[in-house]
Amino acid sequence: MAAIKGIVGAENVLEAYEDRYCYTYDASAVTAGREGTPALVVYPGSAAEVSALLVLANAHKIPVIPRGAGSNVSGGSIPRAGAMVMVLTRMNRIVIIDRRNMIAEAEAGVITADFQAEVEKLGLFYPPDPASKAFSTLGGNVAECAGGPRGAKYGVTRDYVLGLEAVLPTGEIVKTGARTMKCVAGYDLTRLITGSEGTLAVVTKVIVKLLPLPEAKKTLLAVFADMDRAAETVSQVFMAGVVPTTLELLDNIYIRNIEEYVHIGLPVDAEAVLLIEVDGDPAVLDKQAGIIARICREQGATEVKVARDAKEADELWVARRAAFAAMSRVRPTVIGEDCTVPRDRIPEMVRAIRAIAAKYDIIIAVLGHAGDGNLHATILTDERDREEMARVEQAAAEIFTATLAMDGTLTGEHGIGLVKKKYLPLEMGEGGMMAMRAIKRALDPNNILNPDLI
Amino acid sequence: MQWSELEREVIRCIRCGACQSVCPVFREMRAESTVARGKISLIRAVIRGEVDAAGPAFAERMSWCLMCRACQESCPSGVNLGELMLAARRKLAEDNGLPLLKRLIFRLGLRNRRLFELGMGLGAIFQGLLLRPAPGGGGMLPRLPMGLDRRRLVSPVVARPFRARVPARVDAAGARGTVALFTGCMINYVYPRIGEAVVAVLTRNGFNVVIPAGQHCCGTPVYVNGDVPTAVELARATVDAFADLDADAVITACGSCGAALRKEYGPLLANEPGYAEKVARLAAKTRDFAEFLAAAGLTSAMKGLAATVTYHDSCHLARSQGVRGQPRELIAAVPGLTFTELKAPARCCGAAGSFSLSHYGLSRKINDHKVDDIAAGGADIVATGCPMCLMHIRDGMNQRGVGGEVLHTAELLARAYGEEGI
Repeated sequence: MAAIKGIVGAENVLEAYEDRYCYTYDASAVTAGREGTPALVVYPGSAAEVSALLVLANAHKIPVIPRGAGSNVSGGSIPRAGAMVMVLTRMNRIVIIDRRNMIAEAEAGVITADFQAEVEKLGLFYPPDPASKAFSTLGGNVAECAGGPRGAKYGVTRDYVLGLEAVLPTGEIVKTGARTMKCVAGYDLTRLITGSEGTLAVVTKVIVKLLPLPEAKKTLLAVFADMDRAAETVSQVFMAGVVPTTLELLDNIYIRNIEEYVHIGLPVDAEAVLLIEVDGDPAVLDKQAGIIARICREQGATEVKVARDAKEADELWVARRAAFAAMSRVRPTVIGEDCTVPRDRIPEMVRAIRAIAAKYDIIIAVLGHAGDGNLHATILTDERDREEMARVEQAAAEIFTATLAMDGTLTGEHGIGLVKKKYLPLEMGEGGMMAMRAIKRALDPNNILNPDLI
Repeated sequence: MQWSELEREVIRCIRCGACQSVCPVFREMRAESTVARGKISLIRAVIRGEVDAAGPAFAERMSWCLMCRACQESCPSGVNLGELMLAARRKLAEDNGLPLLKRLIFRLGLRNRRLFELGMGLGAIFQGLLLRPAPGGGGMLPRLPMGLDRRRLVSPVVARPFRARVPARVDAAGARGTVALFTGCMINYVYPRIGEAVVAVLTRNGFNVVIPAGQHCCGTPVYVNGDVPTAVELARATVDAFADLDADAVITACGSCGAALRKEYGPLLANEPGYAEKVARLAAKTRDFAEFLAAAGLTSAMKGLAATVTYHDSCHLARSQGVRGQPRELIAAVPGLTFTELKAPARCCGAAGSFSLSHYGLSRKINDHKVDDIAAGGADIVATGCPMCLMHIRDGMNQRGVGGEVLHTAELLARAYGEEGI
């Protein structure tokens, strides 16, 4: 303990049980509880301090759980007894925003939305937009390879990470990638660490590429009486050569509950609502919106609203923004899955989810980033009801199996964590698991970094 | 009350962590136990038997909340942290008792209005022994270390409280209505000029003002510290004094008092027979000064004021009462005045009543961001609708050497009307 305080300073160590207890959870349903309360929580201030802490932890085989805001929903930062929780939020400096090269470098603890606001001041754009962006950190986003609604057009965090500064479990500070758009020197350690959920290295700095900030946006809302037609519309829009920024699908359970909650005139008998946004040059936006509106009507939309200005667009987004609050009114516990399938299999997946909900007699609503096939099956339940929670568990397992059978993935953007750990072999296969274990052993011989995840 | 009664509310927290982006305490302290998600998880742990509620560590963490309700506003599942904190503090006060000083003030002083007034009067006479005028005016500084930080600029208790200075009724020429004024302690004992400004501006705009005798503290200071029995007595006294008055509205000029009359009395007096209807009547009638005046419309022309003015949103005025646009409307209506917005006008100033006394260092750090925001904007006057915010922001500007005045919206308007001495 004295050595740790010597490294980061006593004021950057939490020792009280009540303080440590507050690091036994993240935004997932998993908690470590009293038995899993970490031994201490540290807030390092530099890569050198992270390195010194890891050297110490490695020598004494102390498990280390790195985290930013603890906002992951996969159980990716749950400690165990005796562990050191390492919080990176003190390292929150934006090192540089380089307009000439359209890149930026920032420390791991910078809040994503703060970073976006700074680059946007210079007319630049960092697209990844996880729902947690107002409080999650860049380092955490990299570790989880966070996505977001804009993924349909702009991809996910890994598509913007050019390089990293990271500390290996054995204490070496490594720099991966470069400040260039192209870099093929050596293994692609940047991509290996991105999305590794804090099992291979502690990310301390991130180099990202930036885009020019789109000049304008246009928002549409289309109502469908039939889920298949709505889902078919998604593929048709892309096939017409229009790539929307965001294409959100809300099912009937969402629509009904949102309407009951905010009264914005959504048709409660509609099977699906698509909320579509395009961005770019204002000169072409009207044309693109026109194409999307035409396709929606051709596909049988009963109503298509095109926002004329920012205020009207904002009104259309009310439904989406209210979605979560509306759901939490139905049942006290809300569990969001993120199984992802190829775009054209969305209707099939929605049907499968409904059948599973009926089979286990639970409520599962569907909200999807339909543009990228990422469906959020939203399970509404009550964590105090053990019998129902057992059915929820079984239903989730069946959703995973169905997803894989449709060439999908267990997780589009949330990560595996502890929540889906036992299902990972279903997707990776024995060979995949073996390769992952070999990498883990090579970089972390004492298995100290987030050891329970793999 | 049992801790398990809070379970229904605490399990609604889905632990997303959104409260981290708005909590002023978390921003300074960084520890998860200081933000809503952490406090809720500690209450959960108490229910599960994993944390001891009787220990000092738990109580201390429950005290780290400004009741600014910013987390509530940003919470996707709408968890009512304010009510949870009140319930936790109430339970802690029931089980562990209140600290001696708070017990003396709340139980002995506040429950007896005459004794409280005598105490405040004696305080006005003897405070000179303990406080010295700050260089350059603007307040008093402690002479001795006495639990208050010696740099803490406090406003002295006045020799003659507001209610002793004004008649029980002030009539307006050609009145269009009559309102009753709930003065609150800060205005009555510390800032009587705000009360005078409220009366002057309302009467100029055609409203008779009655100031009922028998009114006392609204109860917020005891309520937020968990002393429910005292709070119930104070709430009943206020309801008794105001609910049946023949007035168009009950006016408050303090964010916290207004929030108490409108929002807190309902749950507080829920078990008091015969009070439900009176509480509802009072809540429906209560209006913040600026809210009332903006709705009624200004009928009297102001002379004007050549100044750049900005506005700080009191948490309990903006978030608890939803009064945001009205004071800005009134300020912008002053001829010759330039209005500028702060970068984060609704961010808590850190005062939070007795929080600024019990956690002065932390309260100062939170206030520093407000003062930085004010300094960057360069306004001559900061207006606000809550005397507690006003005291704390003045203290902050004094400590940091930032120039400019802090005035209540009513004082600003009174000055624009050319009222003497304001």
